[in-house]
Amino acid sequence: MAIKFERVNFEYISADGSSFKALKDINLEISDKGEFITLIGETGSGKSTLVQHMNALIKPSSGEVTVYGIKIYKDVKKKDRNVKLNPLRQKVGLVFQFPEYQLFEETVLKDIIFGPKNFGVKEDEAIIRAKEIIKLVGLDESYLERSPFNLSGGEKKRVSIAGILAMEPDILVLDEPTSGLDPKGRDALLELFTSIHNELGKTVIIITHDMNTVYKYASRVLVMSEGELVFDGDPLKLFTEKNLVDWNLDLPEIIEITRQLEDKLNIKIDKLPRNVDELFNIIKGVL
Amino acid sequence: MKNIIIGQYIPGSSFLYKMDPRSKIIALMLLMVSTFVLQDVFHILIMLSLVLLMLKIGGIEIGRIARGLRPIMILLIFTFTFQILFVKTGTLLYDLKLDFSIYNLLIAVGLFLIFIFTRKFMRFRLLYFIAFAAAIIALFSLYSPGLHLATRNIQVHTDGVSGAFFIMIRLIIIVTLSTVLTLTTKPTDLTLGLEQLLKPLSIIKISSEEIALIISISLRYIPTLLDEANKIMLAQASRGVDFNEGKLKDKVMQIISLLVPMFIISFKRSDELANAMEARNFVPGERRTRLHVLLWSTIDTIVIIVSALFVAGAIWVVVVW
Repeated sequence: MAIKFERVNFEYISADGSSFKALKDINLEISDKGEFITLIGETGSGKSTLVQHMNALIKPSSGEVTVYGIKIYKDVKKKDRNVKLNPLRQKVGLVFQFPEYQLFEETVLKDIIFGPKNFGVKEDEAIIRAKEIIKLVGLDESYLERSPFNLSGGEKKRVSIAGILAMEPDILVLDEPTSGLDPKGRDALLELFTSIHNELGKTVIIITHDMNTVYKYASRVLVMSEGELVFDGDPLKLFTEKNLVDWNLDLPEIIEITRQLEDKLNIKIDKLPRNVDELFNIIKGVL
Repeated sequence: MKNIIIGQYIPGSSFLYKMDPRSKIIALMLLMVSTFVLQDVFHILIMLSLVLLMLKIGGIEIGRIARGLRPIMILLIFTFTFQILFVKTGTLLYDLKLDFSIYNLLIAVGLFLIFIFTRKFMRFRLLYFIAFAAAIIALFSLYSPGLHLATRNIQVHTDGVSGAFFIMIRLIIIVTLSTVLTLTTKPTDLTLGLEQLLKPLSIIKISSEEIALIISISLRYIPTLLDEANKIMLAQASRGVDFNEGKLKDKVMQIISLLVPMFIISFKRSDELANAMEARNFVPGERRTRLHVLLWSTIDTIVIIVSALFVAGAIWVVVVW
């Protein structure tokens, strides 16, 4: 297993001494053999805190996270001075929600090669990577010479994702990558993640609030609620068997429509469709 | 960054909390003046005990104040040692002869290196440092074989000791008083009080309202910006920036990668804040009504009178004695 959480708790402690439990007793295993995972849950349920454990940005208050064989626990740096956490961040690439937090160079090119260079990749090789990756994220090479601060929100987001992709991580973690994007840009990015997942065989983990994304793309879904991991499994199972209201979730549109149709037409559909075409075929078959 | 206590409000209910911010600011100034007027170590000790009494009655933990003093600890220790070592007036209290020779110099360097390498593992680094410093001094005075190089004397005089205590206590009193002010007054109340007190400046065309607004916005954004800085550090750490380790050359890059987003985000935030204020029809310099109105009560009058008596007393003590 590439990432393993064992009884992980995490508390935020504020200046006046009060604490807030962001993660409660999390047990979780993630492999780097091509999983497509979505992580959902309401705001403040601990999703971002959970993913920041995956590349050792923060350390558990109790319990243990194992990332590529390296055990991370409270005060790990003090107890074992030889442990190096930095290389883990190349293996598990984490893209933050707001690109403003990471873009700082004069040109997009410099910003994309910043990550790889930090991990010891030669500059000319990093530039070759950057030229490939900028196309992969749906921008062309002319963007490389532009300043990252004069780009639109969506373009900034793509550049920030390119900056992480250029590090060639085995696991790609994205914190709400599609927020603030128009529908077309959102679909294009999700297709990009799917192709990274399918063609390069990498594990992709996406935090999202969009149930359609979960249902359409994910092979596995994690649900967080008030710091606890309340569901871990197949999306179809989540949407058909679980009580979504308790976790403030809703159904994907396509399932909603199917349920409505079942009601109105008084029919029973055994296999829920994944997309509009499948639904169309099912309805055609029934009528 | 979590230990910053200066400028932090902790809720409470003692008389310090019931006071008007204006009277607190005035009282603080008066007490500071009396601290500077006093010239004698015994008088300042009396002052310190009165300040401690005020903390006791005001229900403020000494521990909190002590934590606030931590950042100026180094300053305190430096002034203390320099006063003791370099003031040469008064009667001689103690005289220590230090002989420097090749061997004990080498041993001292060795001890220093041991200190540098072992201090990371120590919990009380300051005590550890003092212990090593004492050991090195003892070494020079007691053990000096081999080629003799030089002799120096460490002399401690009465004026040095009293001066050292005097300056240290004066600094402690000043920091304690200002910490008490920020600890017991909400930033909004503080700026409101400041605004009222600066009102007379409008005669020379300085708008106290604008100054107060600038201060309150800055105070309001300190925690927000700390939070942003933390997020930027995490985002850059994800791209391989190692803020704990790394060579000097990398350190420069690390700081740039932190500062540039910080500036961009601050400018963006201030732009948004300006728009939000304008959307609510904020016009600088316009007459505005207040949600919270400051109320002057008897306790304020009493505290001001007591503080004024303090200043008068301090002047009397200095002039008469």
